[in-house]
Amino acid sequence: MISRLVITLVIVGAATLFALWWQRRDGRVRTDEAGRFTADQLQAVGLVDGSAEALAVLLGSPTCAPCLTVKQILGELADERTDFHWSYADAADHLDIADAHHVMRVPTLFVLDRGGRILARTSGVPAKVELRRVLDRDGTLESV
Amino acid sequence: MPRQLARDDQGNLIIDKRGPRFGAAVTTVVLAVALILQGQVGAVLVVWQWIAFTISTFFGLAWSPYGNLFRFVKRRFDLGAPSQTEPEGPPRFAQFCGFAVLTVAVILFAITGVDAVGAWVAVGIVLALSTLLAATGLCVGCELYLWGHRLRSRTAQ
Repeated sequence: MISRLVITLVIVGAATLFALWWQRRDGRVRTDEAGRFTADQLQAVGLVDGSAEALAVLLGSPTCAPCLTVKQILGELADERTDFHWSYADAADHLDIADAHHVMRVPTLFVLDRGGRILARTSGVPAKVELRRVLDRDGTLESV
Repeated sequence: MPRQLARDDQGNLIIDKRGPRFGAAVTTVVLAVALILQGQVGAVLVVWQWIAFTISTFFGLAWSPYGNLFRFVKRRFDLGAPSQTEPEGPPRFAQFCGFAVLTVAVILFAITGVDAVGAWVAVGIVLALSTLLAATGLCVGCELYLWGHRLRSRTAQ
C-alpha cells in the first residue's frame, strides 16, 4: 500500500513538474533563430505581396484550438499596422517547410522580415505584446 | 443532457474551455485512487474511467460524465459564463487517447486478472497525461499532428 502510494505521488509529482516546465516554455518568443524562408516557401504559403515590411507564417492544423488563438492575435496585429502581412498554412500540407525549419508541433509561428529572414519563432500561444515588440523593432528600426 | 449545444460559425460544436481541465482533474483523482488501492476496487475504478472515455470519444463531449458534472458544478456554484470557448475536436481527441491506452488495461484485466502489471503501467501513463492536461490544458492533438503526418508521408513513399 505504501509503495503504491509513493509510486502514485511520484507519477503525479513528475507530471506536475513537467507541466510547469512545459508551460514556461510554451509561447516563448525566440529571437535567436538564424535562417530564412526561401522565396518558394513564401510563395507556397501565399505571401507574395512585396509591400509588407514584416511577414508572419503560422503553421497549424484544422483541429487545433491554440491555433485559433494565435490566428486571432495575428489578425489584431494586422489591423494595427499596414506593413504587416501574415498567412496561415496547414502544417500537413507543407511538410517540406515544417521539415526545413524543424517544426515539431502546432501552432508554430515564424515572424519574418520582408526578405524572409526569421526574426522570431514561437510555438504555442505567444503574448501579443511580445510579438508587437518584435514587429516594432523590425518595421521601424532594422529593415533599412 | 443539454438540449441546445453551442456551435461556431461553421457549425462545429464548441465547449467551455474550463470543462476539459475540470474533467482531467477528476480523471486524475479517480486514477490516482485506483492506482493506490489496486485490487478489485481499483480495477472497477479503472473500468469506470474507461467507460467515461468511451462515452466522450464516441458520443461526443456533450455526453461526457465529467462534462455533465462540470455543468452541474457550474450551475450550483454560479461560476458564470466561460471566459473562453474552444472547438470540441481537440479535447475529444485527448479523450480518445485516454480510451486507447485504458483499453489495453481493461483487456489485460480481463485476461490475467486485476493483478496484471501491464494494466497498472497503462493506468500510470494515463494518470501522468491527465495530470499534465489538468495542470496546463495541453492540446494532445497539436503535439501529435506533425508526427502522424510525417509518419504517413514516409510510409506512402
